[in-house]
Amino acid sequence: MIKEVIDKQIFELKKLWQNKRQLTFQVLNLAMIVFSALMIWKGLMVVTKSESPVVVVLSGSMEPAFQRGDILFLDNSVVNVGVGDVVVFKIKDRDIPIVHRILKVHTKSSKQPNGEPVVELLTKGDNNRVDDRGLYAPGQLWLEREDILGKAVGTLRYVGMVTIALNDYPVLKYVLVGMMGLFVLTSKEG
Amino acid sequence: MAKKKSNKQQQQQSSAQQGQSQSQKSAKNSDKNNQDDPVVDAVPVDAPEATTTSIMELLQVDVGDMTKVKQVLDETVAAALLDGSGGGSFSSADSFSSPGLDEDYFLDNIKLAIMTVACIFAVIAQFGPIPFPESRILLALCCGLYFVLSGLLQLITTYLDQDCILRTKPIATKGDSASKKKNPLLFQYGLKVRTNMLRFSEFFTVILEFKGMENTPMVKETWSVGNFFDVDGMFDELGLVERVEKLYRRLEASDYDESKKDK
Repeated sequence: MIKEVIDKQIFELKKLWQNKRQLTFQVLNLAMIVFSALMIWKGLMVVTKSESPVVVVLSGSMEPAFQRGDILFLDNSVVNVGVGDVVVFKIKDRDIPIVHRILKVHTKSSKQPNGEPVVELLTKGDNNRVDDRGLYAPGQLWLEREDILGKAVGTLRYVGMVTIALNDYPVLKYVLVGMMGLFVLTSKEG
Repeated sequence: MAKKKSNKQQQQQSSAQQGQSQSQKSAKNSDKNNQDDPVVDAVPVDAPEATTTSIMELLQVDVGDMTKVKQVLDETVAAALLDGSGGGSFSSADSFSSPGLDEDYFLDNIKLAIMTVACIFAVIAQFGPIPFPESRILLALCCGLYFVLSGLLQLITTYLDQDCILRTKPIATKGDSASKKKNPLLFQYGLKVRTNMLRFSEFFTVILEFKGMENTPMVKETWSVGNFFDVDGMFDELGLVERVEKLYRRLEASDYDESKKDK
């Protein structure tokens, strides 16, 4: 049964290969689909001013509010973050962003070169017993506004499980993309 | 009628190793209802065609899959008008006089160009050298242009393409007596071939009309899909190619069905 499907696909691919114009058309079609997704992502980046407008919660440190596998929508265009906001931040020189809630905000009277007052932030995960000072870089006691990637403004429960699975088993990524590509290339608009 | 025809063709296959023109002759004969004595079509030993031993393969399609059926029919109609070889399963040097039209790639090329430009914008947005916060403006520009081009492409596909499967260029006059007998419009305008098959309908309609002409006259023909497929889904390419060619000859002779104006 599967062999028939594969044979049919191979037959279609061979036929496609003979007709270069049709092949170009289908390849560009596939590229357009991929790029549409990419452009939506970039568009979100532009609107929310955030490097990573959609993130997946990886750990359970924010339960019961957010579970592992939830998708979060971020917005970085807010100028001031307040106590109680759920934010995603990255510690300098570390790769993995962290989702926690803001516990304390200090606004100093001294101003930064760009005229904004200096703001210091302390975060803590809802499900953790202590604040995040243990996670910060050695000697660092406070976060700054530029460490924050964005404030969480929306969420989708459990939809991010797919991303976690793809990350844990990279083979799945290639299989999924390969299958999608094959079906787009060999199917023609009716 | 469809079943009888397929039986004939199966006979050709089982009494294999007959030349190509042989099987085509039999297909034509079946139209004349020569069903009582199929053995009549024996090839004389010294006939030159007997040396070609290709067996005509019939394409099998799942008749429940409507998109695939329409796709196969469309491809054959297009191939019949372009070079008469109906999908390449047999050579074009045969008893059909194909219209041999040239395909007009103008709109196709425009679509390809739009897609390429859109992809270039996307690549710039993705692999641009400027790091994120500063590149917002560039990104916004690229995204905006990408979506505009994408929308344009959709518009073209929806409104200009519609149900058209093939566009051809006008044919060149040779100035001989054969050309004079043909429809003069053929030399001025290219053709637009439209096909129509409603979902779950068994009727397949082919319309030939002139491209770029206001109130173009057209020739139209509707057939039941059962004429071309038997119960197992074996596709009778030859039958469709013949009928399409007949339709084209009608257009050549200016034997129109109705012009759009008269509706």
